[in-house]
Amino acid sequence: MMSSRVALALLIAAAALAASQAAIAQTAISPPGRLLASNCFQCHGTNGKGPGFDKLAGKSARKLFKEMKDYQAGKEGDGIMARHAMGYSDAQLRELCQWLSQQRR
Amino acid sequence: MQAGSSKARVLVVGGGMAGASVAKYLRLWGDSVDVTLVEREATYTSNIMSSLVLTGQRKLPSLTYRYDTLQRRYGVRLIVDNVVEIDPVAISIKLASGKRLAADRIILAPGIDFDPVPGLGESSRMPHAWQAGPQTTLLAQQLAALPAGGVVAITVPKMPYRCPPGPYERACLIADWLKERKPRAKLILIDANPDIAVEKENFRRAFNELYGGIIEYRNGVDIISVDPAQMTLATSSGLVRADVVNVIPQQRAAALVANTGLATDKRARFAPVDVLSYASSVAPKLHVIGDSCATTQPMAGQMANQQAKICADALARIFAGQEPDSAPVTNSACYSTITRSEAGWMTAVFQYDSASRVMKPAAASAAASQGWTRKNFEEMNTWFDALMADTFA
Repeated sequence: MMSSRVALALLIAAAALAASQAAIAQTAISPPGRLLASNCFQCHGTNGKGPGFDKLAGKSARKLFKEMKDYQAGKEGDGIMARHAMGYSDAQLRELCQWLSQQRR
Repeated sequence: MQAGSSKARVLVVGGGMAGASVAKYLRLWGDSVDVTLVEREATYTSNIMSSLVLTGQRKLPSLTYRYDTLQRRYGVRLIVDNVVEIDPVAISIKLASGKRLAADRIILAPGIDFDPVPGLGESSRMPHAWQAGPQTTLLAQQLAALPAGGVVAITVPKMPYRCPPGPYERACLIADWLKERKPRAKLILIDANPDIAVEKENFRRAFNELYGGIIEYRNGVDIISVDPAQMTLATSSGLVRADVVNVIPQQRAAALVANTGLATDKRARFAPVDVLSYASSVAPKLHVIGDSCATTQPMAGQMANQQAKICADALARIFAGQEPDSAPVTNSACYSTITRSEAGWMTAVFQYDSASRVMKPAAASAAASQGWTRKNFEEMNTWFDALMADTFA
């Protein structure tokens, strides 16, 4: 007979597995950052691959994030992209930059 | 989902900016959805940039888009037909050909319809040219035939209407063209709104500084009726006579939306939706995107494209038994022509507010350009090509 401790451990493991499988399923259906990054596509092309303004696909996430912060800070002038950048939180920017960086050029 | 089929079935009604985008993204973001797009025309003519046809800077064929890529690359099934009826309970549609189609979800993206203009009837003498196509050509021809010293009148409907800066940018473009082509001509801009509805600083400055002797701006004036035989407009501030009259009527969701019982906003014009998925507030398996839905966001092509992506992502999640993204973001961005070679811009990012369950503009992001430049005009072309590619290619 299984000890209650072992049963509990198995139960926890099973629950953790189910949770991680759910997370994987969710990620597969809608990868984090993709829907946010789709706000870039109207001007930078589907998946950031053009046609349009600068291509974003496959650029380093760090570099993209820094560029967005520079736009927010007004270091790139007061154009439409500066204002657009001001609409996102840092967490949102990190997520969408991460997703764009993972796209093939 | 239907038994025996592993794919969810989605019907998209209307192949404009919203409908084409949602068909594309449903397929791009997952192969588990079967998408049929029903559109009454074989091609789409862009409203964006179509005022440039009036000044001869664009031709309509350069604004025409086909559905080939959606079909070939993304596997969207296209049916060119008219939808005559939608059953919100059976989730099915009836086509003019008599055929019936059923689905798991229906996405309505049929755009706008116009209120009848009293006195106008079927006359083609006062075109709206607010749905690009024959009306655009007609207005261009009428402008070309304007006599020297003639008068052009343009009416601006009450908000909300499709493309908020549109009537003002059209007035600017035509005034710039009149300056060169039609000496001594005048343009009367009759606005039903209390003031210039958007990008006020730029348009006011343009009306005063660039077009002081040409544009006469009249705000807070309603159109009561029109007489196309006499070329007159009866307005709340008196009779206006003009040689060319561009009546842009009041707008509402396309009749199909109202006939399905979805146009239940305060004035019974547009369809309220849950902006997490664009599901209709009254029929949750029918989704409404683009200019037919009632949201806090502007009615415009760029916005329609982004609403389509939110809807596509939400449906992919729903079909997988998940919840829609709880924090969607959209954006509005557009350029407005101030002269035939210079433009301004306006933009805003909209964030979901969970307390009020509406999309709210992020304050710092909602802005317009200070003035207008040639560079903006060039960027407008880049933006337009990118937006259309993101929608149709």
